[in-house]
Amino acid sequence: MDLTSKLRRFLPPQSSQAPTAQEKSSDLDFYLRGQEVDTPFGSGYVVEERWPLTKRHGHWSLGEVLEAKYSALHPSSDEFSLEEALFLDTETTGLAGGTGTYAFLVGLGFFTPTHFVVKQLLMRDYNEELALLYLLDQELQGKNYIVSFNGKTFDLPLLQTRFTISRLGLEGAANKKHIDLLHMSRRFWKHKLPSCSLGSLEEHILGIHRIDDIPGMEIPGRYFEFLQTRNGSLLQDILEHNVTDIVSMATLLYRLQTTTELEPDECDCSFEAEALGHLSLIKGKHSLALQYLQASAQLTEDNEQYLRVMRQAAAILKRLGQYERATHLWQKILEISPDDLGTSEEMAKYYEHKKKDLASAEQITRRALALAWQKRSPKVSALEHRLKRIERKAQVSTS
Amino acid sequence: MPLMTVGVESVLEKIEKNPRFMSNVTFRHTIPAQEGVYEPIPPFLPDKLQELLMQKGITKLYSHQAAALNGVREGRDIVVVTPTASGKTLCYNLPVTQALLDDEEARALYLFPTKALAQDQVAELMEWSDKLGGKIKTYTYDGDTPGDARIAIRAAGSIVVTNPDMLHSGILPHHTKWMRLFENLKYVVIDELHIYRGVFGSHVANVLRRLDRICRFYGASPQFICTSATIANPKEHGEALLGRPVTVIDQNGAPRGQKDLIFYNPPVVNKPLGIRRSALLEAEAVAHELIAAKVPTIVFTRSRLNTEVLVTYLRKSFQKLGQPHETIRAYRGGYLPKQRRQIEQDLRAGKVLGVVSTNALELGIDIGSLQAAVLTGYPGTIASTWQQLGRAGRSKDSSLAVLVANSSPLNQFMIQNPSYFMDRGAEFARINPNNLYILVSHLKCAAFELPFVSGEKFGEMDPAEILDYLADQMILRKVEDRWYWMSENYPAVDISLRSASTENFAIIDTTDGTTKVIGEVDRFSAPMLVHEGAIYIHESAQYHIDKLDWERQKAYAREVDVDYYTDANLDVELKVLDVFEREELPQVKRNWGEVMVVAKTHMYKKIKFYTHENIGWGQISLPEQELHTTAYWFSIPREKIERLDGGVLQSALLGAAHLLGQIASLELMCEPSDLGVTAQIRSPFTEEPTVYIYEKYPGGVGFSEQLFEAHGRLLWRALSIIKNCPCPSGCPSCVGPVEEVGMEGKVHTSWFLKGVLTHGSDEQTAEIPTPTE
Repeated sequence: MDLTSKLRRFLPPQSSQAPTAQEKSSDLDFYLRGQEVDTPFGSGYVVEERWPLTKRHGHWSLGEVLEAKYSALHPSSDEFSLEEALFLDTETTGLAGGTGTYAFLVGLGFFTPTHFVVKQLLMRDYNEELALLYLLDQELQGKNYIVSFNGKTFDLPLLQTRFTISRLGLEGAANKKHIDLLHMSRRFWKHKLPSCSLGSLEEHILGIHRIDDIPGMEIPGRYFEFLQTRNGSLLQDILEHNVTDIVSMATLLYRLQTTTELEPDECDCSFEAEALGHLSLIKGKHSLALQYLQASAQLTEDNEQYLRVMRQAAAILKRLGQYERATHLWQKILEISPDDLGTSEEMAKYYEHKKKDLASAEQITRRALALAWQKRSPKVSALEHRLKRIERKAQVSTS
Repeated sequence: MPLMTVGVESVLEKIEKNPRFMSNVTFRHTIPAQEGVYEPIPPFLPDKLQELLMQKGITKLYSHQAAALNGVREGRDIVVVTPTASGKTLCYNLPVTQALLDDEEARALYLFPTKALAQDQVAELMEWSDKLGGKIKTYTYDGDTPGDARIAIRAAGSIVVTNPDMLHSGILPHHTKWMRLFENLKYVVIDELHIYRGVFGSHVANVLRRLDRICRFYGASPQFICTSATIANPKEHGEALLGRPVTVIDQNGAPRGQKDLIFYNPPVVNKPLGIRRSALLEAEAVAHELIAAKVPTIVFTRSRLNTEVLVTYLRKSFQKLGQPHETIRAYRGGYLPKQRRQIEQDLRAGKVLGVVSTNALELGIDIGSLQAAVLTGYPGTIASTWQQLGRAGRSKDSSLAVLVANSSPLNQFMIQNPSYFMDRGAEFARINPNNLYILVSHLKCAAFELPFVSGEKFGEMDPAEILDYLADQMILRKVEDRWYWMSENYPAVDISLRSASTENFAIIDTTDGTTKVIGEVDRFSAPMLVHEGAIYIHESAQYHIDKLDWERQKAYAREVDVDYYTDANLDVELKVLDVFEREELPQVKRNWGEVMVVAKTHMYKKIKFYTHENIGWGQISLPEQELHTTAYWFSIPREKIERLDGGVLQSALLGAAHLLGQIASLELMCEPSDLGVTAQIRSPFTEEPTVYIYEKYPGGVGFSEQLFEAHGRLLWRALSIIKNCPCPSGCPSCVGPVEEVGMEGKVHTSWFLKGVLTHGSDEQTAEIPTPTE
């Protein structure tokens, strides 16, 4: 029996109808309005779209986005202009990663003095990958910043893998500064939104509503179907989806930048104020952090957040040695949430060590211990230990 | 340690004076001591390594260690084949550390079949590294390695220690992240080469083909250093697995103390049923003698549960004698290196006298100095048996090893044919890397890793036709001269190198309200053994199968105490699709080829113990099982059996099938459950009485061809078991219980086998010993 018939028997065909493959058709130009480009590694395909600066995308126009000064979003904190930045988003043949996943479409966005340009590099078949990578490398030259959404974990490692396998000796994105908008967005809106996906941010933060957007899960299958049928219309949705991603990234960058510039009294969102408090704290600006947290506590309508912010503020005050103010906050917390073991512990510490009021310390600890027992909290043994010590001290002082 | 030596000898003396014990000994043999053969430490080793050896008290090398070092130096790929405890790790650690000291960028990849072995190895290498100045960074990379550690390993691990499964699913599909490793890969070390046989070995051979592709892509051509336990064909096996010529080093230079070997067959307690006294209890008695005489002893059992049972028994009996619990320890898979170090330490200090272990300790883990080994049951292969026997007597002192048989045909054959064990040597290890299922799986993985280029070979084979087929299936896409991966899936995830783990059904004990996996059965046998209502016997306890979840491959069982067992009727239809080879003699026709096995179970019977009354039945409605595989079969011409009563033929075929299934696994170095046996009184294909032995792995891994070649040996061995079995008319240790083969089962089966073996004259048939002889 020959091998192929054996294969057919051992591994029966999964699906019977193979789409009929056509010749490399020109209808791609019709549907995508792109151009074939020659490179030293064969031809590539580029689709370019130019958006005038007056065009609005959600709440803002692209002109507003371009005019802003950008600084706070990269750890280096250097101010940078959008002319140095390249927005990047890939569409891939799978989400699993690994060396068999290809980036078949790389969308790039950048500003010129008059336009926002989106250039999409498309691999019309696997043999155009080298050309795509070459063109990408060209576009990367002269840009210092890459802006992506979740690119740190997904797009850039994947492209790095493609560059490595291509063995073109190209540097790709390896030494660029990278701003991943997902991380920043999480900082501000993680507690506010059910999800921090780009779609969710568009809807709730940027004021963008997509119509008939292709779900990300369907993209690889659609591309494979295109490879089999050469039907250019199959890719239209994917390219549109990719363009929207890129333009949204530009407005999201703007929104994040303006948010980071808000003063405590300018905040109108408790979550943003809270995040700004954390950022100030990281930078060592304690009193500013307290102001943001206070703003957040005033703005919030959510008990959970209120308690979280108050605890954070009290912790800062404690660190600054302002025990009276910290105690004031702790008391407020316990009024709302009398079962808060952590805060009770803080109070007990304060009475025992600072105020030297052993009776109050003992009373608070006993109450906390009873609660801890009830909740089967891991704090039990620590509290027991504390109580014993307080009692011992009390005995010494009375005897 | 002269005291210990006295211990072994005094126990031997005592044993020899015990007539009850000696009456059950079927074989007694002394393997004389052997002097070590040494070579000086070669001057080309760097000073630092010389110093390290000095510190470890090594002033000279065993001859095989020196030969390994020289072989590697000459650029050869080597396989070192020496017994347990002969200092194998030096054979690879010396050349590897030497290379890494010379070139800081150089890298090595170590592959071990189990995590425990890998962890042991890393512990030792780290100690080396410290003494060598800390430049050689060794890491284990397995499923437990945390994410941040993985990044460090990829960037800076001089020696990456992992297993073939991780290489297959974690490293190769992400080779770009491991660029530093692959670009600088100088050595690949594969320990315990003999483990990679059968299905597992066939998978691993393909993983190594993939490794070779990736290495070539990064311009590396690493040298292979392998070690193996004794097998019959190390060169052939090494070359099949690595896909390249290898040099075998098998002159063991390590010294060896005298070893006394005893084969012990527990007495028959129920003659009609052929039941012998439990091997576990007999092994306990032997171990008890040894431990009581203060001889450090290891007892091997065949399951985790037996390990626990035996430890409990031994502890109890020694407690009465006032010995503390800690002197008897259990040791099974899943122990951490730290715990093992503790056991070793306590052994050396004389705090531990008895270690009860599963075969986890059979592989190269160093457990310290033991003086006696007791094997509960034949471990399944000669190679394994030697490994376990070799666990006692690491030093030059004399040692004792006792093999206690259980009542399976395999055990009974070995225990009654010690010359087979002593003379034949170890088994052959076989793989079939070109099994279509396995090959296609790995071609997918390989195409995922890098596109295939037209004309490119995969190992020795030309994959073009299969790649074209995969392209037709739209799994790959061919553009110009390349095949690319065209799927969203990550193929390695769906392919398990140890096929058992994905296709097997787990048997889950729910007796005490919790769930605990107690065993596995293969998919093909599941309808017969774990259908709802079945009584599944595991470790001599009975379990009732309450529920079989076919989709999730789980059978839920509850321990019960009932007076019956269940027997499901399996209807096996076997169709021959293709004959690859055949031989026709006047008395027999033997073949091997491709078959389709269709199996279906319709009903089961409940059969009462002892009386064997049929006390009920139940229906089984499970899907039909199809298995496309290879088989070996033989048939006898119709004219030979014309005079024969149908019942006689039926009984003879059943008996032969029962016996041959067991004997075949002995020949093949595989588990009896890897094979299926079926007999047809009139096969639709041969139109003659036929016995088929088929492989349970789709496509087969080469067993059928081997059985075809071993045909005569197989039948003679089966005959010899019948001859030596003391039961009157048939028992589970030979042709099967009389309830199945009838009262004349033994006679009929003997007659049948003899007829197949000889060109049937009555004179020769008369030579067959009658069972009562």
